[in-house]
Amino acid sequence: MSSLSYLVSRLLQIIPTFLLVMVVIFLLVRMLPGDPAIAMADAKATEAQLELIRQKLGLNEPLPMQFLYFVKNTLTGDMGTSILLKAPVLEVILERIPVTAFLTIYAVCLSILIAGPLAFVAALNKNGMLDIAIRSGFQVGLSTPVFYIGLLLLTFLAASLRLFPVGGYGTTFLQHLHHLMLPALTVALYTSAIIMRNLRSAVIEVLDAEYVQFARSKGLTRSVILGRHVLRNALISTVTLLGLSIGNLMSGTLVTETVFAVPGLGRLMLEAIFARDYPLIQGLTLTFAVMVSLVFLFTDMVQAWLDPRLRLS
Amino acid sequence: MKTLLIAALAGVSMLAINSAQAVERGGTLTFARYDDSNLVDPVYADRNPDIWMVTNLYDTLLRTKADGKTIVPGLASGYEVSADGKAISITLRDGIKFSDGSPITAADVKFSLERAVNPDFGPWSGLLGSVESITETKNGVTLSMKNPDPTIISILATFNTAIVSKAAFEAAPGANDQEKATALFAPGTPVSGPFTLKDRTRGSTMTFSANPHYWRQGEDGKPLPYLDEVSFVVIPDDATRILKLQAGEVNGAEFVPFSRVAELEADPAINMELFPSTRIIYAPINARETRADGSPNPMATKEARQALNYATNKGALVQLITHGTGKSMTSPLMASTTQLAHDGGPLYPYDPAKAKELAKSSGLEGAEITLSTLAGSSDDATLFAAIQQMWGAIGVNVKVEQVDNPTRGAKNRSGEFDVHTYGWVNDVNDPAQVAGWLGYYPTRKAVGTGWNNAEFNSLFEASNTEIDPEKRSEQYKRMQEIYRDAAPLLFLYETPFAVALSANVNGYLQTPLGNNEFSSAWIAK
Repeated sequence: MSSLSYLVSRLLQIIPTFLLVMVVIFLLVRMLPGDPAIAMADAKATEAQLELIRQKLGLNEPLPMQFLYFVKNTLTGDMGTSILLKAPVLEVILERIPVTAFLTIYAVCLSILIAGPLAFVAALNKNGMLDIAIRSGFQVGLSTPVFYIGLLLLTFLAASLRLFPVGGYGTTFLQHLHHLMLPALTVALYTSAIIMRNLRSAVIEVLDAEYVQFARSKGLTRSVILGRHVLRNALISTVTLLGLSIGNLMSGTLVTETVFAVPGLGRLMLEAIFARDYPLIQGLTLTFAVMVSLVFLFTDMVQAWLDPRLRLS
Repeated sequence: MKTLLIAALAGVSMLAINSAQAVERGGTLTFARYDDSNLVDPVYADRNPDIWMVTNLYDTLLRTKADGKTIVPGLASGYEVSADGKAISITLRDGIKFSDGSPITAADVKFSLERAVNPDFGPWSGLLGSVESITETKNGVTLSMKNPDPTIISILATFNTAIVSKAAFEAAPGANDQEKATALFAPGTPVSGPFTLKDRTRGSTMTFSANPHYWRQGEDGKPLPYLDEVSFVVIPDDATRILKLQAGEVNGAEFVPFSRVAELEADPAINMELFPSTRIIYAPINARETRADGSPNPMATKEARQALNYATNKGALVQLITHGTGKSMTSPLMASTTQLAHDGGPLYPYDPAKAKELAKSSGLEGAEITLSTLAGSSDDATLFAAIQQMWGAIGVNVKVEQVDNPTRGAKNRSGEFDVHTYGWVNDVNDPAQVAGWLGYYPTRKAVGTGWNNAEFNSLFEASNTEIDPEKRSEQYKRMQEIYRDAAPLLFLYETPFAVALSANVNGYLQTPLGNNEFSSAWIAK
């Protein structure tokens, strides 16, 4: 199978996934307890005002009809109007996507920068003091709640030492890097702990593999062996894990973006849920599903590049 | 000589004090908000983060002073009510302008008030239900009333009657009034208030800049506002807002949790303000004969509800939840800052013996009561723990049910609750709104409790057309007596608005209705 046909077949697989996601989103949102009209209109609203909102949202229509409208509108790019923000859902989401994408990519880069070198150092010093120290450090990172790490970083690095801003996003690329450093680091600490553990094991496994011993016997230098043989093969399983972690990272933005006052999709999702803003919740969930699917697709492509056997299967 | 020297020194020090207090102009005040404004149109604003910003952009004909009670002239230089109360003539101030320099005319006032009255538009039209028509006069407007309305003067000082530019509104893109209102929330729109909207990034930041044509004068005899700009940043997390202030990145942070007030009060770089508010915290008690499942309701009698009130140590709750910043309610219907609030002394002071006696005689003893609290609220968690212990002492077994806000609202409307937590802040500078919400049955079943008292209902209706202030005050006094005796609520406490500011910020005000006022704020350099 060529790379192109592999890409096309993976893209086609995404379609049923989206349909399923749409059914699940639609039903889940409607299973939330409480009347969305009351949540949107404030407790002081009269019955007439509530009825107006129900009509506007089509809540009085039978469920199958509501679902059909939802699918039809979504396919035509109309995700409805956010009741909370009084603006088109698609417009609001497009405004926020760059923020969350920046934060996620930043966190992934930091995770790789932290986990990669440390995994190699730990693997090459297997069971040594350095290995134990690195693994213990990450164990702490893994078992500490994300929001708590965030608050610690905020208190010490932002409020006390004033090395970084307490929150926000900034307006220029450099400001984005500066403002998002702490939120990105917060999620990166957790993700890098997972990646480091996996990469360390993979490196140790590959180091014992026959082809590495053969390379050694050929007299290749240590750096060539590590760069050409060990890294590429150890990365295969780590890339899968990294792909899965990006999905987690995105859901982690719900907490991180709120704590760090980052105006991204995660914070918007939390606001939408609290306000029972049906159109916005649906639009956001679908956006997250699209983003995660694209990340998985990209992960598969990288894996296929690293390991050509995957393309053949 | 010595006397002269002392006098001279005193004079110099007085001068020093005066110069230290003299206002300084210019600069940008950065303010951390808990939520963003989504629409700042007087008619459609319906959430507090929207409502509380309206009067920074749009002025009203009359204004409420900082005490939240006294009404003074605004864009109108005065008004006159006819003897039968059915005509109100409003005279506009001379030379007032919108921020683009165009004059504010009677046509703008008529247009703005007609929008506010129209029941097809925003949620507040009911407040002007007594207005029949609005006609332009030479230098103002006349309101013709269907019936005398004692609240109308307060409403003319309320955000929903603020004056917008007719020309700007009509020129705004949009197919209908609502779309035009949304389009108006755009930078550069001509406004009548102290600030204009300079720029805005939805959900993140908003900047106001000074209106160069604003009519009110500052202490230095020049037009307000003192600040060049106010920059808002939206930070939903309480701890982050405070950290941002402590780090010097913002000059002010609103909604400081009460648990942090003492710590910030001790910080010399921060000025911790507790502004008097109309905010009350209470717990509606289901007063129906039967519960939603048809079983007999142990809280149906007033004695049972009185027992619950006597069994609740409100002073302890004020300490536990508000960390001493709040105070027990003294009027059963409203905060003490509300007009016509009748201070009848402590409401059901803690008396476990009396509570036990009433619980026994009313059949409440041994009952199981569900307290619905807001999930995730640490205040409600504390309240539940304390109440479970307090009511346990009179033989009432309290169960907790944690719900989210929409669920709580739905249960309240359907009557499927025993007791649940709730809070209120007045939107209007008149007690009719809160009294209608808490006690008047026909509107919302007396805040969902199902309590229905004919005398209260007729007094409330009569008070809505009573223009004799003394008679109206008597009606309100009686309503408060009836409500206090019937106790359809667990009367809890009032809380202030806690705002932390940098020590060099002066003149900022959050009114008892919650409006954030920046027009007189200034920063000492």
